[in-house]
Amino acid sequence: MSSSTREEVLQHLNMVGQLQPALHKQTHAPAPDQIDHALWRAYTRTPHDIGGEPDVPIVYEEKEEEQWELNTFATCECLAWRGVWTAEERRRKQNVDVGQTQYLGLPYYGRWLLTAARILVDKQYCTLTELVNKIDEVKKRHV
Amino acid sequence: MSKPHYDREHHAKMASGIGDPQCFKGKAGKAKFKEGDRVRIIDLPDLFYTRTMTYTRGAVGTVVRLVYESPAAEDEAFGNEDSPEWFYSVVFKQKDLWPEYSDLYANDSLETEFPERYLESA
Repeated sequence: MSSSTREEVLQHLNMVGQLQPALHKQTHAPAPDQIDHALWRAYTRTPHDIGGEPDVPIVYEEKEEEQWELNTFATCECLAWRGVWTAEERRRKQNVDVGQTQYLGLPYYGRWLLTAARILVDKQYCTLTELVNKIDEVKKRHV
Repeated sequence: MSKPHYDREHHAKMASGIGDPQCFKGKAGKAKFKEGDRVRIIDLPDLFYTRTMTYTRGAVGTVVRLVYESPAAEDEAFGNEDSPEWFYSVVFKQKDLWPEYSDLYANDSLETEFPERYLESA
């Protein structure tokens, strides 16, 4: 298994490096024969597993957490403390279930916050209707 | 039609006052590998969730430690905690992971953890 798996894995990492969300290119619902096994694996891979992908260097910046980020962290930890999710469920939702575009496109704590709302709906602590109405109400308070 | 009901806090009840992964101690059975064993990482389908980095798959490393018993990420991420397994810390030579890694740093290594399902004897 080793040599062919290594070859496949290294080719895979090269391919997913090309899968940056591309707003300029339409790829809506390709025909099945346009997706081979390698492309299928690239598309369905978990977006958090970026180790080894070719990419351009990014600038490292020290940045202090903002208040909403600290609040988000505390909220998510409380959800864990009260048994609403485990850390692994949280990571799945915020790093993988969001998909490649949101994973790369949203701020780190933006994904935490989005996921805190998502788990409450998924596990029926609140309905999406209640959530949407609350967001709408809060938005109107701040116009 | 009634909604599905399940115990949303079952994991919290299990771990309260004990900790996680301590609450899974003694529940994984006999460990298949021991310190010093050479192992190859199995390339299981990476669908929906995994924490076994793709770049380790198919590579050979050495078990340096049995770290704890826990459900694998694939189970725990969906609230399934019934099948804990042994986790192993495995060390690889960087050269075995990255073909282009410089010979100048031939001694560089990388250590990371895997649930038992991903290991086979090498």
